[in-house]
Parts: sequence; structure tokens; C-alpha cells
Amino acid sequence: MNNYRFEDLYEDLSVSFEETVTEEMMDAFWLISGDENPLHMKKEFAQSQGYKDRVVYGMLTSSLLSQLVGVHLPGKYCLLQGMELKYLNPVYVGDTLTVKGTVYELHPSVKMAVIKALITNQDGVKVVRGKINVGFLQYEDE
Amino acid sequence: MTREYVYQQMNRIFRNVFDDESIELHDETNAEDIEDWDSLEQINLIVAIENEFEMMFDMVEVAELANVGEMVDLILKKDSNE
Repeated sequence: MNNYRFEDLYEDLSVSFEETVTEEMMDAFWLISGDENPLHMKKEFAQSQGYKDRVVYGMLTSSLLSQLVGVHLPGKYCLLQGMELKYLNPVYVGDTLTVKGTVYELHPSVKMAVIKALITNQDGVKVVRGKINVGFLQYEDE
Repeated sequence: MTREYVYQQMNRIFRNVFDDESIELHDETNAEDIEDWDSLEQINLIVAIENEFEMMFDMVEVAELANVGEMVDLILKKDSNE
């Protein structure tokens, strides 16, 4: 886990990691969210709507942004304050996603950083992009 | 930059942050006048104001603000110093 402090950050600092979406993640997200929409549950229904397979929950994909800020950028001292996202393309089970965060704005007056987030699939197709506002917890040595 | 212009932009920012078109700011407007104005929205306001007027405040300046009028004064002061 990274432990960037606000003072450590600078514009364009970026961090990325990869995750592969599994059937188990879909099942777990169904349990957590209660979203039983057939687009996510039934291959046949998804295909009837023009998709090649059942579509991964958009919010499952974007849940990786929790890991992005909570573990990687800034990591340990992150206090998530808000995010704006766009879902650009479908994600399917088995896709390997690259999650990238880049420091976009720093606001020392309120100790808040805006992180630009981009999630792409194994073919380089953008599936989610957005901006995340993060504040900072109290540092342990303060 | 005129005080009227700053108020025009501030009204737009506040209405956008609080999703409330009825907001009409005055010098004395403070957090007690807008129900959702808490510490998180204070951060969102400051960030939106910094971006709108292309200026940065420091923590002390922000902490000392008591109402919208003082914020407008600060914006005009920083603008005149540039």
C-alpha cells in the first residue's frame, strides 16, 4: 500500500494496476448490490441487446477506483470525497482492466486532490473515465 | 473584475454545488443560511471558486472567512494583486 501525503503529490504523478474480472466478482457484486438486471445475469438477454455476453456491472468496474485511491494514489491516508464518472464501453467477464490514476489538480487551501481516473481493457479500449476528489486523513506522526 | 461580476459567478457556483437554483447570495450569507453547507461542501465550494477565478487561496485565508462577503473581498483583493 502506498502512503502518499498531500505534500508528496504533484501534478501528473500517476499510478496504475491491473485486475481481471471474474465470475466470482460478478456473484459477489450481485450479493452486495442486489442488482439482478438480466443484462448482468443472463447471457441470452445481453446478446439479444447486442452485447457479446452478459455485461459486467458498471459499478463493479468502477469499484476498482476504491482500490485506486485507497491503496495506490494516495493510498493509506485517502479520504474519498466524491467522484464523477462516465461509462464508455461494456466490460465482460475475463477482461483484464488497467486502472490508472493521475494527479490532475491540487488544492492546498483545503488539502484536496483531484485524481483523473481511466480504466481501459486489454485491447486499450476506454471503459470508464472520471475525476475523483480525495482529501486526507490525519497523518499518524502529527 | 467587478464585485457584481464576482457575485454573478459566485451565485452560479453555489447553485451548481448545492443543486439549488433559488440561492441568492448576499454579503452576510454563511453556512447557517444554506442547509447543505457542511465541511465537505465547503471544500467543493473553495475548489470551484479557485478554478473559476484561476487563483489559489491558502489554508489560513480560507479558515478566516466568516461569510460570502469576505470571500468576495478576498477574491477581489487577490485579483487586484495579480
